[in-house]
Amino acid sequence: MNREASIKAELLVIGYGNTLRGDDGVGPRVAEAVGNLRLPGVHTLICALLTPELADPISRAGKVIFVDAAVDAPEEVQWRRLQPNKSSQLMAHAADPHTLLALARDVFGRAPEAWWLTIPAVDLGFHEEFSPKVQRGFVEAVEKIQAFCRSPQMN
Amino acid sequence: MSKRIIIDPVTRIEGHAKVSIFMDDAGNVSDAEFHVVEFRGFEKFCEGRPYTEMPGITQRICGICPVSHTLASAKAGDALMAVNIPPAADKLRRLMNLGQMIQSHALSFFHLSAPDFLLGWDTAPAQRNVFGLIAANKDLARAGIRLRQFGQEIIEILGDKKIHPAWAVPGGVRTALSEEGRAKIRAWLPEAYATTKVAFDLWKKTMEKHQREIQIFGNFPSLFMGLVAADGTWEHHGGKLRFSDSSGSIIADQLDAQNYLDYIGESVQGTSYLKSPYYKPLGFPAGMYRVGPLARLNICQHMGVPKADAELKKFKKLGHGAVTSSFLYHYARLIEILASIEYVERYLDDPDLSSEDLRADAGINSLRGVGVSEAPRGTLFHDYTVDRNGLLQKVNLIVATGQNNLAMNQTVAQIARHYVRGNTIPEPMLNRVEHGIRCYDPCLSCSTHAVGQMPLHIRLIAPDGKVLNEIARG
Repeated sequence: MNREASIKAELLVIGYGNTLRGDDGVGPRVAEAVGNLRLPGVHTLICALLTPELADPISRAGKVIFVDAAVDAPEEVQWRRLQPNKSSQLMAHAADPHTLLALARDVFGRAPEAWWLTIPAVDLGFHEEFSPKVQRGFVEAVEKIQAFCRSPQMN
Repeated sequence: MSKRIIIDPVTRIEGHAKVSIFMDDAGNVSDAEFHVVEFRGFEKFCEGRPYTEMPGITQRICGICPVSHTLASAKAGDALMAVNIPPAADKLRRLMNLGQMIQSHALSFFHLSAPDFLLGWDTAPAQRNVFGLIAANKDLARAGIRLRQFGQEIIEILGDKKIHPAWAVPGGVRTALSEEGRAKIRAWLPEAYATTKVAFDLWKKTMEKHQREIQIFGNFPSLFMGLVAADGTWEHHGGKLRFSDSSGSIIADQLDAQNYLDYIGESVQGTSYLKSPYYKPLGFPAGMYRVGPLARLNICQHMGVPKADAELKKFKKLGHGAVTSSFLYHYARLIEILASIEYVERYLDDPDLSSEDLRADAGINSLRGVGVSEAPRGTLFHDYTVDRNGLLQKVNLIVATGQNNLAMNQTVAQIARHYVRGNTIPEPMLNRVEHGIRCYDPCLSCSTHAVGQMPLHIRLIAPDGKVLNEIARG
């Protein structure tokens, strides 16, 4: 069994973004931090982009949290409930969470409950440091995922 | 301390494939140009960087073929150090490149092209995508996604990341294949073989149904170029360069990539950022050549693995000499997927892949080094000139899509001649031009990888330069 296909997580945390573009790298860093906590039943995936083959492990997970930097989101770290798209344009090497959920449902038979945890980003320049705002957002996002794991939603 | 680089103007980045179709005085199509308006700029802003950073930097050129760039870059670094890398490192690089071939070709065949094969070119773009494919054949869509996943897993197991693995370095590679990784790859093989069988079955039906497309989707004489082994076996990472013509005759063989400037010229056109390489002895544009799967299968005598060799024999029967239809890039891609799986299986029994001797070490022993590797789309050249400290003075990259530029122009013109009458741009032509370009699986930007509907901007141009008609989609 391959690595991703073997994932049957109660909670799958997917952190995505470009770690060379400042605040855009916060998704991978949050997933990395959550992975280091070794929370029971929680698996993490880190990627630069959301690619179509992620639909397979997503379909096997109990619940999924996508963690991403956002420039179009409100000022605070925010949960957004995700629904699969009815149908959508699928890019070959980049997709959005709605489309991946639709792929998981249509191709692999199941779209789990999913959330988008967005962290407001302000600086997407060519460097590897976070702005002060994203440094705070990073801590808050990790805490929110820990709280989610303790919440009734995980039961 | 990190450095901040600001690149302007970003407005030069553009997401549409632009096509100009030129009409003659009689109102017939005389020529076509496929413009690339994305500006890459890597050659310039890499100047001054240490050559050791290049495998990491250049793989950021693309999210689809980072492996190809990192491997060609590492090979250029080997040449600057003037070292022979350890045999285990060469085999491991090859294994990663095979993973790259599998994932990229699976993407091209299943995600991008299969919706056209199954649903037809005249189906509305809104349905002619992977979701349309799911509705028509869910098992095929799933198998395609899983086959790509297999290729990505090989890359991730070796490089610890699917995209932008920091693994290949000048002189070798950083890590060997673990026993756990070996077992994981092996577990995928039965499914990968089963998926290729499904794909070949689909392809055979596609060929029966699409004889017309085989005739008009880029069917013309040209040269073909790629790497081959000394005995003419298919190559993807080592070997030397070979040119053959459309009669199947070898016109130049066992060329040393270090001297590529002796036989490859680069023409620059004012309408595109893509350079148009050509075979120098024949001049521009007579020296037009094609690279990629179709070329690699035309120039080689055998694949070197039994299942793919059986398919190669069938493939070669489709041409008189060389196979000249670009529509058959798809078939060549499938044969390369099969060969790659067979080679992966072979490597899994090789104890060298667990070796700890993975990296040759040396300083700068040559001020110029060229690295050549076969990317899924075709031959990729990285040419670096450095100073005594290993800082880059000059960089030249020749990518597959550039080398196919002239052939893509000719393909678009050939398709347009069959569909354009007067000043109208009929919808059937738009869909077929889109697929004609897709045969080459060009890697320009995300624009050409939109599944189902390629953003296109087509213009019909009169002999006096007046735009007769134009249409934009996407």
